[in-house]
Amino acid sequence: MDRLTRMLAGLLRCLAGLLGEHRRDWAHALLAETDDQPTPSARLAWLGGGLWLVAREVLMNRIIQALAFVAGAVGLVWIAWPGASTNSATPVNRMYVVGTLVLLAGLPLLVRRYVGPVRPGWAPRVVRVGGYAVVLALIAATAVQQRIGSQLGRYFPVILPIWAMDVGFLLILAGYVAGLLILTSRRVQFTRRVLPLALGIGALTAGVLYPLAPFGINDTAETALHSLHGGPVVVADYLVLACFVLAALAVPAAVHAAATRLADRDSRPAILSPARQALLATAGAMATAAILVALFTTLTIALSPHHVTGPHQAAGDGICPTCEPSTIVIPTNLRHEYSFEDRVNGAGDGAIALLVVPLIGAALGALRGHLRYPPPATRPEGLPEGA
Amino acid sequence: MADRPRFSAQTLSVLAALEADPTAWLHGYLLAKQTGLASGTLYPILIRLAERRLIEARWEDEQPAGRPRRHLYRLTAGGLVAALTALAQAAPKRRPAARRRLATEGSA
Repeated sequence: MDRLTRMLAGLLRCLAGLLGEHRRDWAHALLAETDDQPTPSARLAWLGGGLWLVAREVLMNRIIQALAFVAGAVGLVWIAWPGASTNSATPVNRMYVVGTLVLLAGLPLLVRRYVGPVRPGWAPRVVRVGGYAVVLALIAATAVQQRIGSQLGRYFPVILPIWAMDVGFLLILAGYVAGLLILTSRRVQFTRRVLPLALGIGALTAGVLYPLAPFGINDTAETALHSLHGGPVVVADYLVLACFVLAALAVPAAVHAAATRLADRDSRPAILSPARQALLATAGAMATAAILVALFTTLTIALSPHHVTGPHQAAGDGICPTCEPSTIVIPTNLRHEYSFEDRVNGAGDGAIALLVVPLIGAALGALRGHLRYPPPATRPEGLPEGA
Repeated sequence: MADRPRFSAQTLSVLAALEADPTAWLHGYLLAKQTGLASGTLYPILIRLAERRLIEARWEDEQPAGRPRRHLYRLTAGGLVAALTALAQAAPKRRPAARRRLATEGSA
């Protein structure tokens, strides 16, 4: 029996190495009290409980997360990798798949070195898993949209500037993933409820804005712009744009005010300052809204491409506006198909919205923070104490 | 909704054991004896309570002769308030069970 006890204790000690730093202590605490148990069977039961504890922690923290990531990766490859060689989106989509998986697997290792592992508790883990799911779904939907919009591959050549834009899109997503990892890391401590509140407001904003323009606001903005140059005025387009502008101004103000209110009451030393919390919360809320709107609109376009509206690009003489060289003429029998694919390709708000919206949040958050927490006045050089 | 207990019965028993002497540092084995919980149940509860900053934990300062240092636990100030509140809320529900247990012990 003693031999079995020693074996179990050794096994538990080894398995404890699989736990995170903050959990390992607990396994060692349990091990330290094994000898207090009065009988050999009680010692075995005590160690059995320890093995259960470690197994549950390892399963929950490592294996389930790894399996979920592998499932997501397989799903992404299954959806986004296929494509005819004549489809010009195929190489771009494959670059997206490889790039995204490298980013999602590699960034946690890099970010962990600077801000530590994920914060304890269920909320940061749920946010990370949710964020990863959104990024995977967005890439999958983007790949489908591009595949539908590039079937006439030779009329949609992927020239260098387009490759640069696609790489730029991946870099913006890398920023989102890094932000997600930093906001949920152990060294970035928020007051309770600040982060769920900010992300919740961001998600709610996306839920309100998406139905107003399910295929994105590109078309709406173009129509409104056209009306300024003598085109027909469509009041609904102006109203939709006004809602988006209002959200871009009101959401940062509301999130900043709420985060400041919560953080001002929290005086724990390890917590970020209220100004920083409010700034991060504001940018986080806007980033959440932007990526969710991007996901919903891209999914809508990918699932209902024939409902996408927009200007017909092919001119009457069939000159191809997206071709390289641009003097190529589209055969008459392909012009309808070309027009449809071009509309699908151009729909959605693209990477610009993903880049700009969180920056608006950060800028407005910084402005509000500056007004609420003005920097201390600096004493002019050479002025004596008490002057 | 407000009446919903925030802690399980097992967690309440751990809180009750710690609340009996809030200044004392207790170790896991003692808590297991007092609550009757197995290690596989007790330690996840202690981990959760520590993560919610309701208990604080530390290792024994000095290395005792003949046994490893123990991990010790006690309620934090916030933990004491939460424990007293939760135990007070749970008291009416726990009383019949306690009465049954006393009756069983009395008849034995």
